[in-house]
Amino acid sequence: MGNNKLSRRDFFSVGTGAATAGLIGGRAGADDGGKPPTSRVVLIRDREVLDNEGKADPKGLHRMLNKGIVELVGEKDAAAAWRQLFSPSDVVGIKSNEWRRLPTPAALEEAMRFELEQVGVAPTDIAVDDRQVKSNPVFRRATAFINTRPLRTHDWSGLGTCIKNLITFTERYPDYHGDSCAPLGSIWLRPEIKGKVRLNVLVMLTPQFHSTGPHSFSQEFIWPYGGLILGVDPVAVDATGARIIEAKRKLYFGDDRPMRPPPHHIQIADTQYGIGVSDPERIEIVRLGWKEDALI
Amino acid sequence: MARRKWIFLSAIVVGLLGAMMACSDGTTKSDLGGTVDPVIPAEVAGWRLVDDGQIYDTESIYSYIDGHAEVYMAYGMVRCLSRRYSGPEGEPDLVLDLFEQASAADAFGVFTHDRDGEEVDVGQGGLFRHGWLSFWKGHWFGSVYAEGESEAAKKAALALGRAAADAIAEVGEVPPLVAELPVDGLDPRTVRFLHTQEILNGVVYLGYENALQFGPEIDAVVGRYQRPEGGGWLLLVDYPDDATAELAEGAATEAGINIRRKGSRLAAVLAPEPQAAGDSLLVDAIGGE
Repeated sequence: MGNNKLSRRDFFSVGTGAATAGLIGGRAGADDGGKPPTSRVVLIRDREVLDNEGKADPKGLHRMLNKGIVELVGEKDAAAAWRQLFSPSDVVGIKSNEWRRLPTPAALEEAMRFELEQVGVAPTDIAVDDRQVKSNPVFRRATAFINTRPLRTHDWSGLGTCIKNLITFTERYPDYHGDSCAPLGSIWLRPEIKGKVRLNVLVMLTPQFHSTGPHSFSQEFIWPYGGLILGVDPVAVDATGARIIEAKRKLYFGDDRPMRPPPHHIQIADTQYGIGVSDPERIEIVRLGWKEDALI
Repeated sequence: MARRKWIFLSAIVVGLLGAMMACSDGTTKSDLGGTVDPVIPAEVAGWRLVDDGQIYDTESIYSYIDGHAEVYMAYGMVRCLSRRYSGPEGEPDLVLDLFEQASAADAFGVFTHDRDGEEVDVGQGGLFRHGWLSFWKGHWFGSVYAEGESEAAKKAALALGRAAADAIAEVGEVPPLVAELPVDGLDPRTVRFLHTQEILNGVVYLGYENALQFGPEIDAVVGRYQRPEGGGWLLLVDYPDDATAELAEGAATEAGINIRRKGSRLAAVLAPEPQAAGDSLLVDAIGGE
């Protein structure tokens, strides 16, 4: 663990470009002999976290979150790990996703809020929001964000990802829909966001691997994966989630139904906007918990 | 001329559906007008209307169906009429959505966007899969979505879909370009009618250079072939004039697409396997050697 421990400054610099993306893994970077940057994500799964209806146990989910953060940050316990990420003086927006077919679990939002309060962040300086972030007073004065959403397929972007989750900070969503949502990574360079997203949590409890119909949802196309993917680098988090979805589609459909359109906004967020690492070869996946049928 | 005809028919159907929206719960909504339409029931197989319905326009549709609105917009969506039906205890709600598209060809195009499922006799073509019924009739695309799956919900969804389709008097035509696809080796369930590269990319990914000069006024049809010599996707594109087709031909050739032109029509083979398999498809589609 000690080798992977990140400094507070490292975390605060995340999201500011390729040069700092190299710090995410705490190993190789642009200054490290010219090696390309690497990233590190934590995939944590728990077979027992979901009940028969696919609803997450709040305590189990909270435990998963904390175990994942301990591993991600490289601290001895959850309290220390959260203190690495946030300070009492922070104003924190928890950017959630309220899509009613597959929302961010309220229990996860509450767990995040609880831990932030344990760090010492004032309750009045914490808010959870999705569609109204532009007018939310806490988000407007936020010094830090947590970005969390379930992973699902999406007709226009290929996948609804952590990268895409920040689109509600923009004035007009269709401006980011061209080229299969290729410009989504640019949102992360906006002044109100750049360098402030300190944690991304991609919810993989019941990921959605195929969309159908105007409401884009069928129980047929979700499955109990029981996971979370945590990372400081949103691109690495999303790229890892995308591999799991592709693997699930191959299992379900066979070889002839790759994601269409391909979620290339993930790669473009790396290569064009420099907000993280998309190459699987440069992403270290730390695996915790349930290993069976991990698909990656 | 055909466009004017559709606009006229559209006005009739709008009236019918406006009446449906307004009155199937037994009351009249002043903002929609119209009279009670006996064809659309307030109850279907034990499912009853639970709201007055919503109308979504080209802006509000994005908040209603986050993640899919672009598909309808790519086919000239005018508006979407939506109603919710509540079922017997323990059964899922049904959501009826009727999308008014720019033309019958566009309604057919939306219908072809997702061709999974079993064929059902609803409207001018219907498919049912995993709690979702899709159909088209005239310049309307219909959807009945069950918020859960059961045999009773499936029967109710089909009944509701048929009632909605019956309320649409207009009958549309399948775009003539569809019939131009050679039949030999074609999997008819893969045929899509479209106008934009974004929609094509959902079938076979071309990237976003728009070498084929797609646009709202350009009709295209694509289908997958499997023949003894190989397979691939055959794309036919009709341009408004020869000059535009020639421009697209040049750009597509430069992009490495196997393409042929005859007047204002282009034929292209995408993702051929093996590479040579595309040649016979092009000959069949557009002539030449």
